[in-house]
Amino acid sequence: MKMKNANAGGLTNVEILNSFQSRGASMEVAVTIAPSEYKVFEYFIGTAAAHQTTESIYVLMDRLKNHDLAKAELLSIINHRPTLPVWVYSSCDERLGEGGARELVSVIKGAPKAVRRAGQKGAERHAPGRALGRT
Amino acid sequence: MFFLSEIEHTLRLPPHLLGLTKEKALRQELENLFLDKVIANLGLCVSVYDVRRVTGGFIFPGDGSPTYTVECRLVMFRPFVGEILDAKLKEYNKDGLRLSMGFFDDIYVPFHLLPYPSQFAPDPEDGNHFRWVWEFGSENGEATGTPYPIDEIGETIRLRVHSISYPPIPLEQPKDAKPFAPMVITGSLDSEGLGPISWW
Repeated sequence: MKMKNANAGGLTNVEILNSFQSRGASMEVAVTIAPSEYKVFEYFIGTAAAHQTTESIYVLMDRLKNHDLAKAELLSIINHRPTLPVWVYSSCDERLGEGGARELVSVIKGAPKAVRRAGQKGAERHAPGRALGRT
Repeated sequence: MFFLSEIEHTLRLPPHLLGLTKEKALRQELENLFLDKVIANLGLCVSVYDVRRVTGGFIFPGDGSPTYTVECRLVMFRPFVGEILDAKLKEYNKDGLRLSMGFFDDIYVPFHLLPYPSQFAPDPEDGNHFRWVWEFGSENGEATGTPYPIDEIGETIRLRVHSISYPPIPLEQPKDAKPFAPMVITGSLDSEGLGPISWW
C-alpha cells in the first residue's frame, strides 16, 4: 500500500452521511453498507448532521466568513452546531470573548436548519472538498 | 474528525468475485482489506469513499486471479488534538471513564483530566456503588460545592481530545488482559462546556 496523500481534506459529517445514503442506507435499511459503516451512520443520526444538507452548510459558511475562524474551528461548528456561548468556547478559542461567542451563536441559530426530506438520498454528491473551499 | 486519505494499493481480485462488475468487485475487496482497521498514524478506516483509478488486470502465471493497482480514497476517523467529540459513557472505575462513539470504543478520560475537583465518591443511596462526582465551587478539595455526578451509563458527554496513541501490537498478552486496542484516544473534561451535556 502506498500513501499518495495522507490528508486529502477534511470531511463534514453531512458529506459522509450523504455518501452512505447514496448507497441506499437509511434507518430501516442497513444491508447496503457494511456493519461498521452502519454504526457510523447511527452515530450521525444522533447529531446535527441528520438535519443538515450541503446547501444549508454553504449558507452557514457564507455567514461565518467574516468571523475569521480557523478551518478546524469551522469544521467543529458545522458538525456540532453550538447553540450556547459556552459550547462555542470549547469549539473555538477563548480569544473570541463572550461578545464574540454570543454573536456566533446568533449567526448559527439564524442560519436555516434544513430538514432532510425522506426521499432525498444525497443525490447532490459534490466532490468533497468543495464544502471547505479546497481544490 | 473525518479525513480523506488517498492511497494506492495493488491487490489480487479473488476468483469468486469475478462474477460481479469490476467496480463492485474491487470495492468489495477494498472494504475487506481496509474497513474497520486502524492504520498507524492515519486513524481508523471508516469507509471507502471512491475509487479513482484502476490499472492493471494482469494475471500472473500460476495464479487464478487478476492483479489490479487501485487508487482510491478512504474516509479515516482521526480526531486532532484539541477537537471536541461527543461520546456516550460506557463504563467507569477508579481510574476514570471509558466512552464510546458506537463505532469506536477506546476513548478514555483518566481521573487527572476530569474537571477539578472530582472525587470517586460512594452513592448516597447505595453505599457500595461508587461514582465520579464533580464538586463545583468547592475549594481545596473540600466537599462543600454543588455535586455533579457522572454516573448515567449511555449519557452523552462532550470531551476534548487530549492525545491519540497507537500502541504497538504486543507480542504476548496475559490470558485475562483487555483486548488489544490499536488506537486509543485520551480525552479531557477539564474546561468550560465539557462534560455531560445535561450539565450545560
